[in-house]
Amino acid sequence: MLLLFCSIRCTVLLLKPSWKQHYSFPWFGMDIGGTLVKLVYFEPVDITAEEEQEEVENLKSIRRYLTSNVAYGKTGVRDVHLELRNLTMCGRTGNLHFIRFPTQAMPRFIQMGRDKNFSSLHTTLCATGGGAYKFENDFRMMADLELLKLDELDCLIRGLLFVDRVGFNGHPECYYFQNPSDTQSCVKKPCTLDNPFPMLLVNIGSGVSILAVYSENNYKRVTGTSLGGGTFLGLCCLLTGCETFEEALEMASKGDSTNVDKLVKDIYGGDYERFGLQGSAVASSFGHMMSKEKRDSISKEDLARATLVTITNNIGSIARMCAVNEKIERVVFVGNFLRINTVSTKLLAYAMDYWSKGQLRALFLEHEGYFGAVGALMELLKTTEDP
Amino acid sequence: MKQLCHHLAFPWFGMDIGGTLVKLVYFEPKDITAEEEQEEVENLKSIRRYLTSNTAYGKTGIRDVHLELQDLTLCGRKGNLHFIRFPTHDLPAFLQMGRDKHFSSLHTTLCATGGGAYKFESDFRMMADLELHKLDELDCLIRGVLYLDSVMSSGPSECYYFENPADPDHCVQKPCTLENPYPLLLVNIGSGVSILAVYSEDNYKRVTGTSLGGGTFLGLCCLLTGCSTFEEALEMASQGESTRVDKLVRDIYGGDYERFGLPGWAVASSFGNMMSKEKRESVSKEDLARATLVTITNNIGSITRMCALNENIETVLFVGNFLRVNTLSMKLLAYAMDYWSKGQLKALFLRHEGYFGAVGALLELLHPS
Repeated sequence: MLLLFCSIRCTVLLLKPSWKQHYSFPWFGMDIGGTLVKLVYFEPVDITAEEEQEEVENLKSIRRYLTSNVAYGKTGVRDVHLELRNLTMCGRTGNLHFIRFPTQAMPRFIQMGRDKNFSSLHTTLCATGGGAYKFENDFRMMADLELLKLDELDCLIRGLLFVDRVGFNGHPECYYFQNPSDTQSCVKKPCTLDNPFPMLLVNIGSGVSILAVYSENNYKRVTGTSLGGGTFLGLCCLLTGCETFEEALEMASKGDSTNVDKLVKDIYGGDYERFGLQGSAVASSFGHMMSKEKRDSISKEDLARATLVTITNNIGSIARMCAVNEKIERVVFVGNFLRINTVSTKLLAYAMDYWSKGQLRALFLEHEGYFGAVGALMELLKTTEDP
Repeated sequence: MKQLCHHLAFPWFGMDIGGTLVKLVYFEPKDITAEEEQEEVENLKSIRRYLTSNTAYGKTGIRDVHLELQDLTLCGRKGNLHFIRFPTHDLPAFLQMGRDKHFSSLHTTLCATGGGAYKFESDFRMMADLELHKLDELDCLIRGVLYLDSVMSSGPSECYYFENPADPDHCVQKPCTLENPYPLLLVNIGSGVSILAVYSEDNYKRVTGTSLGGGTFLGLCCLLTGCSTFEEALEMASQGESTRVDKLVRDIYGGDYERFGLPGWAVASSFGNMMSKEKRESVSKEDLARATLVTITNNIGSITRMCALNENIETVLFVGNFLRVNTLSMKLLAYAMDYWSKGQLKALFLRHEGYFGAVGALLELLHPS
């Protein structure tokens, strides 16, 4: 009965021209990637007493569950530090929460959706990422939920521009590194994406996509590379015995990749001047590892570092070639490979600056891997966006 | 110029000291007159005999007999060109031999290229009293490539390509030549990779490079599988299945990512399955070796394609010892160039793979530029 009443109320609202169209809660955006599921949840904080009374039990329980925990099950995490507070979306004020869990745990998530009778809420579940296609049937079969499937790159761009526009609780969302070549005086500096176009957008997830973005609705996927975050983690697990991204980064922070990589100076005895290659540049990644003696002398930390450096520099190199090809000077790096990964962000900043002789600038965004999910949420609300 | 080199003292060598291998080309004269033979100093004769009567030297030196060019005319002399390689790691033993055989008393110029020509310059001087004439590796590479392709030989064509690279049952090697080769994209895959845009014999630029090369393949394979040599690594790779190790587009999308033309079988994340303990335990060393080969090869292919696009060049020539006895990578490169460019790009290969730098160094000795 309650449900019917709600439906009628929504319909009544629809008929009142002075009211904006109101999509029923909960408002979610979901990005089901190759490794992680990113979920954004809008928690309304302007619920009137009347609304609260009418709120169905399972909706209330979902809201409480999500906002009173920072961990869900064994692997779900809410990134509290990324929460956007007092955001206005579609005439409602609320907090935007950022939640992630491994794609491997998707069956459990769908099970939870079923247990909480999510389907009875009749909301549209906007989902992007490959998993929106891969798991479409599972959502339908296991939880009676219909996904509105969206393209991951459309959502990425939409989400990115939105978060940059609204800012990060009064602070800029975007940042870069000043003096990236100088480890001592390299500092993080805020910026905004005013006049962001054209920009080269490099999304580093399990794999990498590189987009040339000319306007919000005009972009092309220039290329991609399969050597991404998944490669870093996969190789690290194999080479060092670690099991998580955090462990791999921890090891990498302590290692020395020059024990593993063959540098230009190892081959030339110094710089390769003719073509401007400094002795310290890597000539052959993991090149020392063909020698048993050297294999026996390096540590797991060195291997983790070399893996990180190799993958990061390869992405940087490819990004740079694209920037040159597309004649774009601003390169924005996003994706969860960069989460808590200052080694890579600084390396990318340095590489863009150094190899382009200062022509290219690397930019980064605080909400790293969540833009696809934000974009999906916006698709849900798109006809009702605030001016 | 030709008259000058005619009188150049033997032996005639060209040497390329790379990050992993030393490549040596040696010209064995077959038109020595009785008079010349009589005058020939003992150590020169001994060097000639040692090199040509063996196919292996010490523990790690190898003469690639199948690559020998017979009845070649160089500088008015007729002879055989031999192709020899050994690990750069064993250069000290080589220098010792040069010293023992009193190479320095022969007063020949030793033309050497590759990074090692710079790195080991002092060692040559100190240990064997030899002065190296140092040459740039990319100058020599181009020179060597153009020369060997042009040589009229009764043997197989130097240059070849693959027809039907995507079809394992119908994929065949076909000969070709580099007539009117310019512009050409030259991809040299050694320990690391250099990519050159070549507009004429004397006009080229190094477009870019990547540090993920042959050395990366071998280094990672040794770490992941416990193998110790390039040949072992390739053998393992030939028996493995990389799709168990890599995360494919279909593993993420459940099929193709149609919007951007990515087929389900394309690799989305190399080694991407290896973050799962279960999957790590289910793959073999052979699968890991294969995945390493495929990852490195496809990355090179991808970067090459971007360069070809940017430089507006349709012909791509792959050389370097990463491709030695490595048909798997050659076919992958041939396929990738064709597929991702929708038939616009053509991948070419050369039989003497990694020896062009050394040949170029020899040519510099005979015809100084």
